[in-house]
Amino acid sequence: MGGLLQQAELPGANIPWLEALREKGRRAFAAQGMPTAKTEAWKYTRPRDLQTDDFVIRTTDNDKKCCGEAGHCSCEKQEEQSLPFECYEICFENGCLQHNHLHLPRGVTVMPLMEAITENDEIKAYLGKSVDIEHYPFAALNTAYLAGGLFIRIAGNTKLDKPLAVLNRTHSCHENLFCNLRNIIVLESGAEAELIESFTYDGAEKSRYFNNIVNEIYIGRKASLRHCKFQNEAFKAVHVSLSQVKVREGGNYESFCLQRGANLARNETKVLLTEEQARAEVNAAYIMNGWATIDTTTDIEHLSPQTYSDQLVRGIVGGNAKGVFQGKIHIAPEAVKTEGTQQHKALLLTDTAEVDCKPELEIFADDVKCSHGAASGELDEEQLFYLRSRGIGEDEARQILIDAYLEDVFARIRSEKIKDWLVSLSG
Amino acid sequence: MTKTPLLEIEDLYARVAEREIIKGLNLTINEGEVHAVMGPNGAGKSTLSYVLCGKPGYEITGGKIRFKGMDLLKMSPEERAREGMFLIMQYPVEIPGVPVTTFLKHSVNAVRKHRNLPELDTMEFIKFVREEGKKLGISADMLKRPVNVGFSGGEKKRLETLQLAILKPCFAILDEADSGLDIDALKVVADGVNAERGEHNSLLVITHYQRLLNYIVPDFVHIFADGHIVKSGGKELAQELEETGYAQFVKEK
Ligand SMILES: Nc1ncnc2c1ncn2[C@@H]1O[C@H](COP(=O)(O)OP(=O)(O)O)[C@@H](O)[C@H]1O
Ligand SMILES: [Mg+2]
Repeated sequence: MGGLLQQAELPGANIPWLEALREKGRRAFAAQGMPTAKTEAWKYTRPRDLQTDDFVIRTTDNDKKCCGEAGHCSCEKQEEQSLPFECYEICFENGCLQHNHLHLPRGVTVMPLMEAITENDEIKAYLGKSVDIEHYPFAALNTAYLAGGLFIRIAGNTKLDKPLAVLNRTHSCHENLFCNLRNIIVLESGAEAELIESFTYDGAEKSRYFNNIVNEIYIGRKASLRHCKFQNEAFKAVHVSLSQVKVREGGNYESFCLQRGANLARNETKVLLTEEQARAEVNAAYIMNGWATIDTTTDIEHLSPQTYSDQLVRGIVGGNAKGVFQGKIHIAPEAVKTEGTQQHKALLLTDTAEVDCKPELEIFADDVKCSHGAASGELDEEQLFYLRSRGIGEDEARQILIDAYLEDVFARIRSEKIKDWLVSLSG
Repeated sequence: MTKTPLLEIEDLYARVAEREIIKGLNLTINEGEVHAVMGPNGAGKSTLSYVLCGKPGYEITGGKIRFKGMDLLKMSPEERAREGMFLIMQYPVEIPGVPVTTFLKHSVNAVRKHRNLPELDTMEFIKFVREEGKKLGISADMLKRPVNVGFSGGEKKRLETLQLAILKPCFAILDEADSGLDIDALKVVADGVNAERGEHNSLLVITHYQRLLNYIVPDFVHIFADGHIVKSGGKELAQELEETGYAQFVKEK
């Protein structure tokens, strides 16, 4: 067992059900231990470098040290950057929620997870209810340290007028910070929302830190969530994220994740299409260099008839970097007349770049449409020459072709302004 | 009147995939002249056009090429293009994900920058390219599509001609510009090319058939076989070739 499981003083120690849940998390992690090369789910993306004792767990204590009683981080940082369009912005600095006043429309609840735990019994119906911690060691760890994060609920038939953006920034004031966040996101029947998550660093270029995120997302009947994420952690950082999504009848989950940072990153999306006409679109792009490993893992379970899923993933890998895609589509025996497609394609820019890809189809039902495809290759020399023969410099020509490679996956982002923002972050 | 040479090829040898294709080629093209190079399939005509444009993979094993007095073989493909060399390709490449307008804007601005002209902003550029496009029957819709993807043969060649019109090269090579074109499309392309002819601009028209030369009339015709020029003459040579065929120029194998 690694040094990630430590004694930590967490808020809410007097709440028995919460403590019981944390204890379950501790046990589940202790039973599984850190994934190794033999752990099937982690065989391509080995969480090396995490076996050490020097990670500092984010707790209420160092909350105060870092952010003071007022809850504002005092360490040096640049101008706070907002998104280039209107949205409801919530910031976490080093995992610590910044208390900004949000004027949310009626029917929209956004509160710190601890507040929901202490004041709102409703959270019990969701917290820890969807994640299988016996098989997800990092989710178990996240459960052991349950405290930080958000409870977001969009009431029935409420349509959020602007995207809700959760901006996570890491500063250099703690070396080896280990931060666990749990977000519970509930869309009641007929609700609609756009959620943006971003993970960036500020003055922490050379810091080693570890963000371990679990999102539990519940999409009600005919509700729709568009979930966009941008991961650009510092180059020594580790980022592990699991979004566990349940979609009910006629509900829709659309996600797009752009990853380009961290030394080791996994963005994992597990979707359960539990009722008829539930739909999920899981798209991702990764752009990497240096020695990074970036992993995109998906697992879509079709559990009811006439469910639909579609995944498109594109990667650009340079330097000595390694891209990993593991995509699974599972179709349960009762899930007849379903459709599941998946496509992964990666562009290798150097001889030392690597891509590992594991598509998996598990089909137990009849009358389904399923397909998957995976390919990797280099820049097309003919295309490169064509551009250069028209006066375009070699570097510029390469960039044009790289941008073009991601064009079809970016085209899947329905919101023009979010798309433009993410495209601007991809160059 | 003394003529200024634009392109001088001297005893050129070139190979591709370890095979010698061009063997001792000599050709001088002066400013304002139109030369046609005619030869049977597989003679090495496209190879010649790629060698001139600097396509990677074509190895020069002997000889010299001067372009505007410069050592062409030392220049990158983009430098050659910026100095005014342009190739209408026999098979223009499809580039999914890159809209025609985006591509053309990068290209035009790279060339303008080299000529110390201010770069065009998006609005100016779109206006400019639409006007030029209209003359060649290229719609605004076509300009938004990815480069050559799903284009018909005629559309591809019209897009090549549009690039010729907006890049204003001093030396254009047409590699089988008429292949796959019906007579109407051929006329559009030929008119577009003729519109760019001028006192200082030269053309190298590469073709298997004489047909194109009825529309783009050459000053000189060269017969290219076995890796070099075997006979040169005026435009009547093309006519002669149409009647006799290439057989007399191709060595028995
Ligand atoms: N990339 C290549 N690899 C191998 N052989 C080639 C390549 N390009 C051309 N060749 C060969 O060189 C010869 C000349 O080709 P090409 O220049 O296309 O002729 P043309 O345009 O006159 O029909 C042909 O025999 C062709 O097969
Ligand atoms: Mg040819």
